[in-house]
Amino acid sequence: MPKRRPKLHCLVELPSKWVDSAQLEQALSASGGPHGGSFYSVTFRFPKNCKVMVDAGVRLLALANQLDFSTRRVALEFDEGEAGTMGYLNRMGFFDHLAGQVIVRPYRPPFSGAKIYGGSNKDLVEIARISPDNRDQDLPTRLSEAVASALGTRGDVKTLKDAIWTVFAELIDNIFAHSATVLDGYAAMQLYRNGKSLQVVVSDSGQGIMNTLRPTIQSQFPALADLSDTNLLVEVFRQGISRHGPDRGCGLKGSAAKAMKYNADLEVRLPESRVVLVPANGIYKANTAYCFGRQTLLWGTHIGFRFHLDS
Amino acid sequence: MNENKATIRLRELMGGPYGWGRDQGREVFQQLLKKVEASPGKSVIEVSMKDVERTDISFASETVVEIAKRYRGNKGFYLANVIDEDLLENWEAAAARKGQPLMVWDGKKGRVIGVQPSQGTASAFEYAIGRVSVTASEVANALDLQITNASNKLKQLWEQGFLLRRQETAESGGVEFRYYAVK
Repeated sequence: MPKRRPKLHCLVELPSKWVDSAQLEQALSASGGPHGGSFYSVTFRFPKNCKVMVDAGVRLLALANQLDFSTRRVALEFDEGEAGTMGYLNRMGFFDHLAGQVIVRPYRPPFSGAKIYGGSNKDLVEIARISPDNRDQDLPTRLSEAVASALGTRGDVKTLKDAIWTVFAELIDNIFAHSATVLDGYAAMQLYRNGKSLQVVVSDSGQGIMNTLRPTIQSQFPALADLSDTNLLVEVFRQGISRHGPDRGCGLKGSAAKAMKYNADLEVRLPESRVVLVPANGIYKANTAYCFGRQTLLWGTHIGFRFHLDS
Repeated sequence: MNENKATIRLRELMGGPYGWGRDQGREVFQQLLKKVEASPGKSVIEVSMKDVERTDISFASETVVEIAKRYRGNKGFYLANVIDEDLLENWEAAAARKGQPLMVWDGKKGRVIGVQPSQGTASAFEYAIGRVSVTASEVANALDLQITNASNKLKQLWEQGFLLRRQETAESGGVEFRYYAVK
C-alpha cells in the first residue's frame, strides 16, 4: 500500500460570524492544529462577515507569532480587506505586534490604526506588549483608566477600576515572573456595550501554569497531587497555589476575587486544554468549571475575564 | 511607645503612586529594610500610605507584610493614611496569605487586617489595643481572668505578631512583661 503523505499545509478557516475564543478553538480543532508536527505552513482565513472579538484576536496574535517563531510560514487572509475584521484588528494594534515574516493578504495595513487613533476610543484599549525586557510600568493604569473612562456614568466605577487594575497588575506580573519565554505576551481590553460586557485578556506564550506548577506540587501541596488539571486550576484561583510554596500564589487568587465581585467568568487556555470558570455563590468551584480537554496545542497561558455589566 | 516610633512614607520608596508586582516589591523591601535598620531604637514603624494610590497583592506581600513578618515580636509595623477600602483589600489578602496580622490606624481608630486574633485571645487583644500598654494583671482585672490565663493570652498575641512586649521591673521588684499595641 502506498504510504499516505503527511499534510504539509494547515488551513484554519474562521466562521462568518462573531468569533470569540470558543469559536476560534473550534476552528483550530477543525484544522487539525497548526502546531502539528507535519505542517510547514499555516493559513488563517477570515471570510466575509467574520468579526474577531478581543479574546480571539489576542490569542490569534500569540499563535501566529508562535508559529512564525517555530519557522512555519504563516499567512493571514482577509477576504474583506481593511473594510472587515482586518480593520478592527489594525485598530487594536494587532499588526504592530505581528511577526514581520507573517504574510498578510490582501496586504499588511500601511498605517497602524492603533498608532493613529490610539487612546481615542473609550471602549477599547489597544493590544499592549508585555515584555520582561521592557517593562511598561504604566500598563495596568492605562488599562484601568480606560475602563473608568468607558464606564464613567456607573456609580461603582472607582471600585471597578481598582478591580481591573489589580487583575491586570497581577496577571501581567505573573507573566514576568513565570512565563520564561523570549516571545512577548499581550494584554488588551474591549467593552461590548451591546453585549453589556467588558473583556480583559492577558496572554503569554511561555511554559503554561500547569507545566510550572506540576513538578513541585507533590512536595509543596501533596494533598492536591492527584487532582486533575481542571480541579488543580480551580484551586490555583480559589486557594492560591504557587510552585514557590504556601506563602505565595496570592496574585491569581486575588485577581480572581476581584473579578468575582462582578460575577466575571474566567477562561484559562492552557497548552492543550481550556477551562471556563463560572462563579457560583461568590466563588469559582470545580463543579461549575467547564473543561475542554484535548485542545490543539497552543503554547503559554491565555487568561480572559468577562465582566458582566448589566446595570 | 511613641518615643520609639519611626515613620516611613512608602510613596517615597516607590518612585510613583502605583506599586505592582514582586520585582518592584522586592526593590522597595530593600529600601524599607535600610530605613528600619537605620533606626535601631524604634520598635514601632508607621508606614504612611499617603499619596499611594494603588498597590497590588504581590507588591503588598513583598514589602510591608514581608518586613512585618521578619521582625515579628521585635518590631511592629502598621499602616496609616490609607486612602480607601479597595486599596486595603489587597493588603488584607497579602497579609492573610503570609499569616501576618497588620494593624491599620485611622486617627484613634485601629483595626487588624490579615490574620485575626483567635476567639480565645480576641477580648484581650481588644483591651490591649485600646491602651498604650497593658500587663497581665491589668488584663486579668479588667476581663475577670486568672493572671496566668491573661499572661498566656498576651504571650500568644505577642508571638503571633499582634502585640509587642518589653520586660520591665514590677513594683514587687520582680520582672514582668508589659505588652504594647502596635500604634
